[in-house]
Amino acid sequence: MLRFFFKKERRLEHLIYSYLENLGMIQRHFVKAMNICLKEGVSDDFCFLMDQTHKSESRADDIRDEINELMYSRALIPELREDIMALLEKVDEIPRSFEQILNMIRTQKITFPEFLTLDIQELIRVSMESCDLMAKQIDVMVKKVEGVRALMSTIDQNESHCDHIERRIIIKLFESDLEPFLKLQLKELVIVLGEISDQADRVSKRVNILTMKRRV
Amino acid sequence: MFSLLGGIFLGWSLGANDASNAFGSAVSSRMIKFWSAAILASIFVVLGALLEGQAGIETLQSLTELTLKMAVVSSVAAAVTVTIMTVLGLPVSTSQAAVGAILGIGFVNKQVNIAGLGKVVACWFGTPIGGLLIAIVLYRLLAVVYNRSRIDMFESDILLRLALIVAGSYAAYALGANNVANVTAVFVGAGQLTVFAAALVGGLSIALGILTFSRGVMETVGRKLVRLDPFSALVVVLSEAITVHIYTVLGVPVSTSQAVIGAVLGVGIVKGINTVSRRTLTNIFIGWFLTPVVACFIAITLYFTVHLRYIPGQ
Repeated sequence: MLRFFFKKERRLEHLIYSYLENLGMIQRHFVKAMNICLKEGVSDDFCFLMDQTHKSESRADDIRDEINELMYSRALIPELREDIMALLEKVDEIPRSFEQILNMIRTQKITFPEFLTLDIQELIRVSMESCDLMAKQIDVMVKKVEGVRALMSTIDQNESHCDHIERRIIIKLFESDLEPFLKLQLKELVIVLGEISDQADRVSKRVNILTMKRRV
Repeated sequence: MFSLLGGIFLGWSLGANDASNAFGSAVSSRMIKFWSAAILASIFVVLGALLEGQAGIETLQSLTELTLKMAVVSSVAAAVTVTIMTVLGLPVSTSQAAVGAILGIGFVNKQVNIAGLGKVVACWFGTPIGGLLIAIVLYRLLAVVYNRSRIDMFESDILLRLALIVAGSYAAYALGANNVANVTAVFVGAGQLTVFAAALVGGLSIALGILTFSRGVMETVGRKLVRLDPFSALVVVLSEAITVHIYTVLGVPVSTSQAVIGAVLGVGIVKGINTVSRRTLTNIFIGWFLTPVVACFIAITLYFTVHLRYIPGQ
């Protein structure tokens, strides 16, 4: 009821949820693009989805700028302002990684060897699950309900799981007969893929600290 | 009217300095615009002075019997003391300066109400202790309510901001009600003003200080409180207001700054952290002892100075 009188705060809340929704959309474009790439390599459909990912990523930047602008115009207590800005800065690393991966595939014309397909799919699946849980954790933090720690623990497990998959892929890669240059190219890509769950884990830990900080 | 200038100057400096204890945290953290805070503080200071300032005025004017000349000397001595201590960078209590100056005049005239003085000094000890104890109880109580509330992050943020503004207004009310006696009580004792007129003139001069010169203090001194989280800042302002209000009911002018320091220490005890440095505490202690002594000395000096007579040579 209080929020009825505070337009800026209402707008801010709306923008934060728009940002999270947009993040979900970028994720979906990214997953579709990666699935196409795993099946048929760099195709027109892949390029289309890559453009969509780029557009959504730009939209995320716009929303973040609007959030920052609104907060500088005296919405929220300064402490909370700083916390939200720092948090969104960290979350924003994730769509940047999506874009970077798709760019690497397109510009370096990377194709995945068949023996890695299942592991790559598994790495993407678990990383996306971490991103979904991270968005849910932010929602839980905003709504001030219980569950932040439990979500953090699941994201942490996912991060460990992703590390295992990443190591497994790199071992398989260097045990294969692929050309050394291709091995290094794929290794670099896998490391950036693995970075997604790492970043989700870092955001999740930050959300947990913010939740504890807001308890008195 | 000219004779009231010393008191008006004292009220002006009090408003300029002490309004930060009420709204400093809200203004310096930009939760409220300076002008909104200054107007709210001014209104509540005048209201406090008019509605509850009487008891303090009666206590101070009963400390000694004053003529108009003595009243002027005492108010100027208090104002000069506040200025000197501020220039030296020592925390200063206008209440202690005013009482010190009245006592100086009283000593010279051998007319000091010892019982009244005892009550005032006891309350000086009680102010930081009161602020500390109230802050501890209030923090624990409000924390239970805050943590159990089912409101979301944005609503709790709005609630904290509103609460800080309400607490600031209450603190301004308590400041006016309690400290107006420092400004004009001596003129009531001297028969220059009625109690109502003293409350009105005192309240308005404090409000003038807030409106014309409190901005810098609110924006800088207030930051000392903002280093605490918003919830702790709220507890500090509210504890200060309650402490000062209690002494208002008892009819003793006390220092709002000392109540704030007590409350900040109290919050530190609850949270298990050091909220006030040893150096700040030492300065407060020095200021606490020096202010009434310096004011007393300046009042005696001024008193003898205004009574000097030119004796032509034989």
